[in-house]
Amino acid sequence: MEKNKNIPNFKTPKNYFEDFEERLFSKMAEENFPKSTGFKLPKQYFENLDVRILKEVSLSEKPKKVIPLFPRKYFGYAAAIAASLVIGFTLFNTKVEISNLDSLQLAAIDTYIEEGNLNLDLYDVTSYIENEDIANIDLDAKYFTDSSLKEYLFENIDTETLIDE
Amino acid sequence: MVEEQELVIALKTEAEKESAFRELVSQYKERLYWQIRNMVLDHDDADDVLQNTFIKVFRNIDSFKGESKLHTWMYRIAANESITFLNKKARRNNVSIDNVKNNAVRKLETDVYFEGDQLQLEFQKAIATLPEKQRLIFTMKYFEDHTFEELSEILETSVGGLKSSYHIAVKKITEFIKNHNETL
Repeated sequence: MEKNKNIPNFKTPKNYFEDFEERLFSKMAEENFPKSTGFKLPKQYFENLDVRILKEVSLSEKPKKVIPLFPRKYFGYAAAIAASLVIGFTLFNTKVEISNLDSLQLAAIDTYIEEGNLNLDLYDVTSYIENEDIANIDLDAKYFTDSSLKEYLFENIDTETLIDE
Repeated sequence: MVEEQELVIALKTEAEKESAFRELVSQYKERLYWQIRNMVLDHDDADDVLQNTFIKVFRNIDSFKGESKLHTWMYRIAANESITFLNKKARRNNVSIDNVKNNAVRKLETDVYFEGDQLQLEFQKAIATLPEKQRLIFTMKYFEDHTFEELSEILETSVGGLKSSYHIAVKKITEFIKNHNETL
C-alpha cells in the first residue's frame, strides 16, 4: 500500500498499532455483554449504615463481659481438690514433662493458621510493624541459596497471575 | 462534600474522628458496596465485607501515611477483604475457592436480591470462571468504570498488565457465553 505523502507531526503511544486489533475486538465483544448486573438491594440498606458500622467498631473494642464458668460457692471445693491434686502429683510423680513453645510442633502451628484461626491479615500485621523494624531486618543473601529460591518459586509462584500480567 | 485531605486530618483527630468517619461512610458506602458485591455476589456476604472494610479503615487510619489517595487505599482494602473473605469461606467449608464461587452463582437463581435475566445470569457464571485478580480487574473496569490508571494505583499493577488481563477476561467471558448461549 502506498504511504501517505504528508504525514502530520502527530505521535502515538508506544505499541498503539500493535495491540489495536486486540482492543478493538475486545470492545466489540463487550458491546454484547449485559450493561448491568441484575443485583438488587434490601430497601433502605444504605440508611444508617454508618451507625451500624460504628456500633460494630465499639462492640469489638469493648472488653467482653466474662461469665464465670463456675459460681463462687464452688470455689472452696475446687480449691481443695486442686490443692490435693498438686500435692499428690508432687509426691508421687517425679517425671514431669515441661511443655514449652519449642515442644509445639510447627505443623500444628501451620494447621492453626491455615484453618483461619489466626485472624490477622496484612493490615493488622503492618499496624504492628514500624518502618525502622523493616529497615533493621537483616536479609543476608547467604541464607537464600539459588536452589532453595528455585524450589520456593516452583512451589509457590502463581503462574496464572504471571501469564495474565 | 468534604475534601479528602480535610477528611484524613479529621479522621486522625480524636475529637472529630467519629463525625469524619460518618462522612467517609456516606461518601464511599455505595461505591465500595458494589465493588464488593461484584466479587462475593451475595448481599449478606457483601454487607459483612463492607462493614469489615470500613472497620479496618477506622482502626488503621493512623497508619495511613498519605502516600496514596484515601479512596485508593479504601478500594484496595475492599479488594483484599473480598478475596480474603472468599478464601476464608473456602477454608471454612473445606472446599476450593472455585467451588465457593460456583455455589454463589448457583444461589443467584433463587436469590431474592437478584433480578437478572438469563443472559445476566450467564454473564455472572462466566465472570465467576475468572481467577480472583482478573475478576477484580474486570468487574472494577466494566461495572464501575474505573480507568486503567486508577486501577493501577488501587491494585498496584502496571497499566499494561491490567489492559492485557482485562482483554483476556473479555475473551474468556465471550467464549464462555458463546458456548453456553448460541444466540449471542
